Amino acid sequence: MRWCPRHPIEMTPTSVMGGGEVVTFTTLLSPPAGFKSPLHIALVDLIGGARLVCHGDKTQGLRIGSWVAIEAVGNVYYFSHLGTLDRARLFWRRAGRAGERMSAIAQSLAKRAWKGRSRGET
Amino acid sequence: MRDVWIAGADMTRVGRLDQPLQDLMAVAAHAALRDADRERPDAIVVTTMNPEEFLGDANFASNVATHMGFANVPVIRVETASSSGAAAFYAGFAQIAAGLARTVVVVGGEKMTHLPTPKVSELIGRSLDPYERSYGTTMPAFAALVTRALMAKRGVTEREIAQVAVKNHAHGARNPLAHFREEITLDMVLASRMVADPLRLYHCCPISDGAAAVVLTAERSTVRVAGVGQGTDSLGLRHRESLTSFRATQEAASAAFAMAGFGPERVDVAEIHDAFAPFEIVSLEDVGLFPVGKAGAATLDGETALDGRLPINTSGGLKARGHPLAATGLAQIVECVWQLTWRAPRRQVRCSVALAQSIGGPGTNNWVTILEAG
Repeated sequence: MRWCPRHPIEMTPTSVMGGGEVVTFTTLLSPPAGFKSPLHIALVDLIGGARLVCHGDKTQGLRIGSWVAIEAVGNVYYFSHLGTLDRARLFWRRAGRAGERMSAIAQSLAKRAWKGRSRGET
Repeated sequence: MRDVWIAGADMTRVGRLDQPLQDLMAVAAHAALRDADRERPDAIVVTTMNPEEFLGDANFASNVATHMGFANVPVIRVETASSSGAAAFYAGFAQIAAGLARTVVVVGGEKMTHLPTPKVSELIGRSLDPYERSYGTTMPAFAALVTRALMAKRGVTEREIAQVAVKNHAHGARNPLAHFREEITLDMVLASRMVADPLRLYHCCPISDGAAAVVLTAERSTVRVAGVGQGTDSLGLRHRESLTSFRATQEAASAAFAMAGFGPERVDVAEIHDAFAPFEIVSLEDVGLFPVGKAGAATLDGETALDGRLPINTSGGLKARGHPLAATGLAQIVECVWQLTWRAPRRQVRCSVALAQSIGGPGTNNWVTILEAG
């Protein structure tokens, strides 16, 4: 997208964090051709202001207002739910496999967000 | 601006129909002309949402006019996704209000049941934002995203949403032209299979064929067009300010009431775009027929039923009458005309002002039309 949807002003790319808050979400059980059921879709408010639609592994336990990390796999953005425990691990960097996974996500956040620009979606 | 009147209105049955779309539309248009006691219009407005992909036909305005036997009458086609019928009505209204024509036939129709459901879903889904669509977002997914927000932010309950479908099926059972004529129960809705969490099968309108037409005229008749309003919004859900209301409906309602010179308190009966049951609750509040946060409880209390304070979707709505896309906006107006002229047997309500509200695509091009008994 080149122009702002509500004003005919050309947009300029910016970088945002690869994480944010769930605005709304659904699990589609009759997805269109080319997608597998169940298809988890969320609308996420990224830290920094932009919103994007992304896929996820599951929506179990997810709520409006939940915090999620956003990662790009290929050209597709995925959300993963950050539970209380996940967030604690993320911030305190505790040892253990789960902790390693979360710190890896943290490292990828800023880097992945950059790709949002190249798709013109941030 | 000249006064615009509705002199005739009619429609086909809605459902799985065998005739070609051109035939269905010609039948509806000729029936409306007979109702208006007119032989030939000055102009024709045709609307179909997507004959190019549903049928493989293009140049559809001329196609339909020729099929009707009016090959030499000026004809145009209008399209605003699922609200195309209402947009076509506006185009006909504008021609008469501007003095460009004295009698205009507006005819809308769609034929989709000959295609498999996933294909129809995909074709209808093309009215969504291309990026959001690339993530598998379909119209039911879009509606589910809105419904989830509605339940969390506005406290709308599953029972309130389900009751919309129960009520509209009860109304459809009294309409001989409706696609679904069976009553359903709250338990049936709540037990139906999940389509897009939290939306279930019985929350969604069917895939239907059908056509509807009205005859607009500059001469005084039985129903006057009091107001028409359009509202628009961004294609992408991610660019919306609110997920719990449709800005486009609010703008359309405010424009239509401004033209009418009165407010929602004078509306006696309304046809509302319930493509998904929760949309009826949102729309009742967006139009101003109920205060924000009250439409759900009012539905559960029976206020919007045939014998309620403000009967909504006496035809059965999109849910039970059916949703042949571009026919729908006009079918809503046909029902309003029949109500205002006491021609809605078994579902007739007392009324002198009727309102129709139509949603285009994911709420990007919405319309409100207000009619008054003359």
